[in-house]
Amino acid sequence: MVKKVFERPLSWLERVLFIDFIRGLSVTIRQALRRTITTHYPYEKVTPPKRFRGFFGHKVVDGKEPQPAFDEWVERFKIKVEPGKSRCVVCLLCKRACPVPQLFEIEGEKLSDGRRRVSVFNMNLMLCTFCGFCVDACPVDCLFQSDIHETASYTRRDAVLDLQTLERIGRDWQRRREEEPDRIWIDDHQRLKLWHENQLNLPEVKR
Amino acid sequence: MEGVVFWLILTLVKILVILAIVLGIGAYLTLLERKVAAHIQRRPGPMVVGWHGLLQPLADGLKLITKEDLFPRYGNRFLYNLALVMALVPAALVFAVVPFGPEFELFDVKVKPMLTDVNVGLLLVFAFGSMAVFAIALAGWASNSKYALIGSMRKAGIVVSYEVVITFAVMGPIILAGTLSTYEIVQKQIQQELWYVWLQPLAFVVYMFAMLAETGRVPFDVQEAEAELVTGFTVEYGGMKFGLFPLVEWYIEVLSLSAIAVVLFLGGWSPINIPFLGFVDPLFFLGPFSPFLWFVLKVSLLFLFVLWLHWTLPRYRIDQITETAWKVMLPITLVNIVLTAVFAPLVWE
Repeated sequence: MVKKVFERPLSWLERVLFIDFIRGLSVTIRQALRRTITTHYPYEKVTPPKRFRGFFGHKVVDGKEPQPAFDEWVERFKIKVEPGKSRCVVCLLCKRACPVPQLFEIEGEKLSDGRRRVSVFNMNLMLCTFCGFCVDACPVDCLFQSDIHETASYTRRDAVLDLQTLERIGRDWQRRREEEPDRIWIDDHQRLKLWHENQLNLPEVKR
Repeated sequence: MEGVVFWLILTLVKILVILAIVLGIGAYLTLLERKVAAHIQRRPGPMVVGWHGLLQPLADGLKLITKEDLFPRYGNRFLYNLALVMALVPAALVFAVVPFGPEFELFDVKVKPMLTDVNVGLLLVFAFGSMAVFAIALAGWASNSKYALIGSMRKAGIVVSYEVVITFAVMGPIILAGTLSTYEIVQKQIQQELWYVWLQPLAFVVYMFAMLAETGRVPFDVQEAEAELVTGFTVEYGGMKFGLFPLVEWYIEVLSLSAIAVVLFLGGWSPINIPFLGFVDPLFFLGPFSPFLWFVLKVSLLFLFVLWLHWTLPRYRIDQITETAWKVMLPITLVNIVLTAVFAPLVWE
């Protein structure tokens, strides 16, 4: 059965006295007298939640790799593990998962002791949609998305992240936010930390 | 001979002072409007240029002046520029008959703080108000753009219908005062110890509506209608020429019509009124400056009220607007005139 619902029409007296106008005006004046809710952006910066999809980074080897996956991949590809360097095992799963695979440029190199490690890892963010498929695909929790979101740059070259930059973003992230619980609530205490206190000084991120 | 020279100099000084005040305040009202709009939407508004954006109007003016002056290819250049003059001059001329305060003596000379006290002051005001239609129609026509033409036609339709209404609405106070001179109307209100808004609430409400319609303020801003018409008849204007139209329409005209409303209904420079009993002046300690302050206070409160309405209400359709004018407001004002004519002799005593 269809139930007909009408808005109660204004009575004759209410129309004459502009009750609807007065209601609207009272709402706006109450809002006008309250505090403003905006962030004065270049002077104040809001820290994004931890799961924000910003610039990419490479987490570095620090003993907190996902086990046993990391050891298995290292074993399979004979990767040389250096503490403080990228966890990347050159499996190319990120490139496989990517909707625009040509934005990845990944190469490994063979060292003199027979072991291998990643030598080139370029991501051209001009093509990237920040969908995060590559992050989901990474088996060793190496590639991740950080909270760096000021991605403007003066040249197209600056939009290409190379291995060093990725590692720097990763180290900075692990220092700042690794311990933080993976939550997205707005009253998260961790978010009171200032995002712009990152120590990256990337060419892209003019501070 | 000397009298004539003195009178000329006095008039020139008055013109300069009034123009400077009106145009200067007009520029700063843009900042006020942006601040009010922002706070109603819980934003802070302009904050960067100067303390809380106090220098923003100067920055805006500088930007508008240095912009390229574009002209539509098949437009009519003469009418295009004439529309600007036709918009600005009548709007500013209304202030010629606005009395800012009572007569005072300066160096043994009696000076009225208004440009001319003509005995048909109100007629002049509404004549100038009607001339705004020409500016808008010309602007729309000369731009050779469909959006501009639609906007100007809409605005012309509104202004024509509300000119009739506003003229009938001010009939009430005119009957009560028995004069068309703005200075005399205020004097009459002080003598009768009565703001006319107490006897003419209907006329006041109708006047406010007509004022919003004539100045293209919400809820009657169909000629602008950002979503459909990309700001209506100003669409082909650029730089300072573009800046002038909103300045005239939204600020100078609202200011002049608010001033006329204060003169007609709120007793001009008189302090707070208790009907038929007298005036209460909480600003008495300011001495001779208190009437001027009262006038400024009333005009600015009225202007703030208009801003408040603007950023609260949605927009009416064009047919609803003209329907309200002809079918509701005009009959109301006619009834009001008849009633006023019946009761006016009581007030005259």
